[in-house]
Amino acid sequence: MSAPVSPGLRSGSLPLLVALMTLLAGLSLAGLTGVQTLAEGWAGAARNATTIEIPSDTLQLEDRTRTLIQTLHKTPDVTTVRELSPQQVQTLLAPWLGQVSDSGHLPGLSLPVVLIVAHTGTPDLGKVVHAALPEAVVEEDRRWGERLNGLGSSLVACAWLAVSLIAAIAILSVGMTVRRSVMAQRKAVEIVHFLGAGDVTISSRIAGRAALLSLAGGLAGLFFLSPVITMLARKLAPFSHDAGPAALPATTWQTMLASWWNTLHVLPRFLLEELGALPLIAACLGWLTAQTVVLVWLRRLP
Amino acid sequence: MIRLLNVSMMPPGVGQPVLRNLTLTVPQGEFRWLLGPSGAGKSSLLRLLTLETRPSAGQMDLLGVSVSQASRATLRNLRRRIGFVPQDYRLIGEWTVFDNVALPLRLRGASERDTRREAFAVLEWLDVAHLADKRPGTLSGGEQQRAAIARALIGRPEVLLADEPTNALEDAQARRLLATFQELVEMGTTVIVATHNEALVREAPAASIVLQDGTLAGADPQDGIAARRSDRA
Repeated sequence: MSAPVSPGLRSGSLPLLVALMTLLAGLSLAGLTGVQTLAEGWAGAARNATTIEIPSDTLQLEDRTRTLIQTLHKTPDVTTVRELSPQQVQTLLAPWLGQVSDSGHLPGLSLPVVLIVAHTGTPDLGKVVHAALPEAVVEEDRRWGERLNGLGSSLVACAWLAVSLIAAIAILSVGMTVRRSVMAQRKAVEIVHFLGAGDVTISSRIAGRAALLSLAGGLAGLFFLSPVITMLARKLAPFSHDAGPAALPATTWQTMLASWWNTLHVLPRFLLEELGALPLIAACLGWLTAQTVVLVWLRRLP
Repeated sequence: MIRLLNVSMMPPGVGQPVLRNLTLTVPQGEFRWLLGPSGAGKSSLLRLLTLETRPSAGQMDLLGVSVSQASRATLRNLRRRIGFVPQDYRLIGEWTVFDNVALPLRLRGASERDTRREAFAVLEWLDVAHLADKRPGTLSGGEQQRAAIARALIGRPEVLLADEPTNALEDAQARRLLATFQELVEMGTTVIVATHNEALVREAPAASIVLQDGTLAGADPQDGIAARRSDRA
């Protein structure tokens, strides 16, 4: 241990506070990542699909539909054109129009022909479709993609706001702990100051200890965070476009550990990096906050 | 050298100055008793000289530095050239006696080896080396006072200020301390000792600064330690 040239930090509940803040920040980051991934996946899927509805009262419906499908196949950037079967259309509309009757038709309604066109890029399908079949209605799912993007961005902003608030609360907590500590050791700090210790000498010792305790708190928070993140990752896996972790029955410690490791492995790399950086960020915030609080306090002394 | 010109000091929140229009000069390498009844302003003057506060008015020069205009960094460096024995010892309770005594040298960046050697030398001289690993709270008043004296002496300060440095010492220890002050004066240190101990003053007559109600009641240039040094020279 280095020779003391200034009083240290009376930690109080600093590590516990930082551990809790790390836990909350980790959960927010995980939520943020989850929302981002889902929104991007949904928006991406929506961006690359277009729905075409052809009213059932269109003249020469079957022939013209076939011609349109052929035209679409030849259109650049179009990858697949799929015609939904009447049953699929009925199932699709069931939430709005109710269950189909035994005859297989909705009463009083004739269902349109529905084409789902998958494509890359942004081909002007509206022009192509209307040239071939002016009665058709083109529903570009891109708009839905934009809405989903908007929703995703809002949720991401909320998550960042939560992370920022947590960081602010953490800074406030560290600041109050450091200030309390300095006040409790006021006499010792003044003795050292009046013997000729520089402000930075005094503040660095306190800040170093604050950083160390914040790092310890951050690591503890991360330790308690990992099972929660694992559990959430398992719950959210079915909504993900990627294959989820292989679920193992958690009956023994070995299987639980293996299951945790599997889940940890499929979490996005950047999320793991962000979570791994949390204790270091906590240490940096602790150091900076303590430095600032002590230096400001010392300005009162001549 | 210490020079005060019309210096007044009014602590914050106090309606009237505790020191008023003080003008005095103490040349480098001289000894002064600081005398006066309780409440006369002796401790306030020592607070000024130890740079715990700045004058509210007037001009104060210490070791060639104008304190009134000095920056924080200048004051910090100046403090390292001053030794102070406070009346209440002001030892850091959480540290050992050794760490308390070693502090001035560590702040100057001295090597740990030199710090250890010097600290133990001064602690041994004051008969408290065996208490080096103890915490101040476990020591008697006299032992704490000797630890505070050791801390003030260790840096071989250019100015040594002491507030009742013998009030918890036995007579023999007090006489020994006075002899040390005399040695420091001979080496060029300016020493100012505030005391109520008239016997001690009689034993070592020297020029004195006498305060009364925050003003200079008299500067008594007796034939003292500094004068004796001049005779030997």
